[in-house]
Amino acid sequence: MNNASRNRALVRFVLLPLLLLTVALLGGLRVSSDDHAFIFIAPPLIALILSVLLMLLFVRGHMLELRAWISSGYPVLVNVSHTLTLLSLFFASAQAFNSVLPETGLLFWLFSLFFLWTLWNNQFSNFDARHTLRSLTVLFGTAFALKHMLLASLYAPEGSWLRKLTGVVLEGVSLGTIAPQRFAPATGYISFFTLALYVTSLVLLSPQPESLADEEAGQVVRAYRKLPPGEQRVVRAAIDAGSDGESDVRRALPAGTDLEDSGEEETVVARKPER
Amino acid sequence: MQHKLIQSVGVAWTILYAFFVIWIYATEPRTFKDVATGAQVVAGTYEVDREKFEEGLRLFRAEQFRAARDEWARADPERRDARTQFYIAYAFYREGWGRVYNDDALFKQGLEAANRAISLSENERLRVDDTDLQIKTPAELKAELEQGLERTVDDLNPLKVFRQRK
Repeated sequence: MNNASRNRALVRFVLLPLLLLTVALLGGLRVSSDDHAFIFIAPPLIALILSVLLMLLFVRGHMLELRAWISSGYPVLVNVSHTLTLLSLFFASAQAFNSVLPETGLLFWLFSLFFLWTLWNNQFSNFDARHTLRSLTVLFGTAFALKHMLLASLYAPEGSWLRKLTGVVLEGVSLGTIAPQRFAPATGYISFFTLALYVTSLVLLSPQPESLADEEAGQVVRAYRKLPPGEQRVVRAAIDAGSDGESDVRRALPAGTDLEDSGEEETVVARKPER
Repeated sequence: MQHKLIQSVGVAWTILYAFFVIWIYATEPRTFKDVATGAQVVAGTYEVDREKFEEGLRLFRAEQFRAARDEWARADPERRDARTQFYIAYAFYREGWGRVYNDDALFKQGLEAANRAISLSENERLRVDDTDLQIKTPAELKAELEQGLERTVDDLNPLKVFRQRK
């Protein structure tokens, strides 16, 4: 196992679930403005629904190839690990929404509708992984700015009289249904950190965890190692010869040896460049 | 082999961390200290702060029941000690007890604490051998509190003023 392979495995099996579960932990964390105590808010039902839509978007936008993540061809441990990672992704997404949704009132429903509308529209758009990621970053960034910067400053107790007046007017127009819960400024920092972690984990999320190319290369190497030294030389000569294919291999073969005799594993190696 | 090890460590770590997240949301700790205390409960190493408990006892004997309850609440923040909960219930009883009428609100809180003491002492029978107390077990205390909350004709008995606080 080389360094690159080990690092990839560490990212996929250890770091990615760690990041996603940290998002799931911090997404519902608020800090009380009165006594600076922790307040843990479980994700509301709408956050779970939005998370389902987001998972569908991941699949449609090719950020997740479900068949490459869970397959009957993988060992049980890999499937278990991948299932746990996908579950972590689901709850991390729900908590990322929870982090940027206002807690109660009219604004909670307005934000929820905004997310719902955007995600629903995106289901029918042609997205690739990069566009999906970019679109999500903008979506969460906008919601974060609205909740933790605009609304928080409007309702901050130490805000200017103009801000307070705007807050009171907004509250009056909405018959008191718009007033958000007040939290300590640390809540905004936690939310920012949570969203940054979430986007980082999405960047680390590979569409195909067990890359098909890697798998094939691995099979070739395993087959090569099983060969006797003479045949290994032939394979090396074929690879060195480039993509000329069968003729090169034939030239490299000892006199009187037929290509068909050299076995199935060699055939795989010889034919690979033709693909 | 190393790949398998990373996978196994990853799965174990993910499951442990997921349980930690669920536990945090289930217990809703308000400070880092609460998190540490909760972890002690889970690990089975949770203990009542003896110093605060003794201070609560001193205040209780000086009839400063609210202050005593406050100390005991700090001594047993997770409400996991049957003996402390029994004393808290007793403090509610003594403060709520009246010659003419009882304070129902305090008796109700006392009843809740007595129920906690009973549920915490399910495995071993709790008996508090304190000479200052006439009621020795949570079950007796619960009965006394329930009796105090009941409305009966006996409440109109004028001789009731001669009864003694336990």
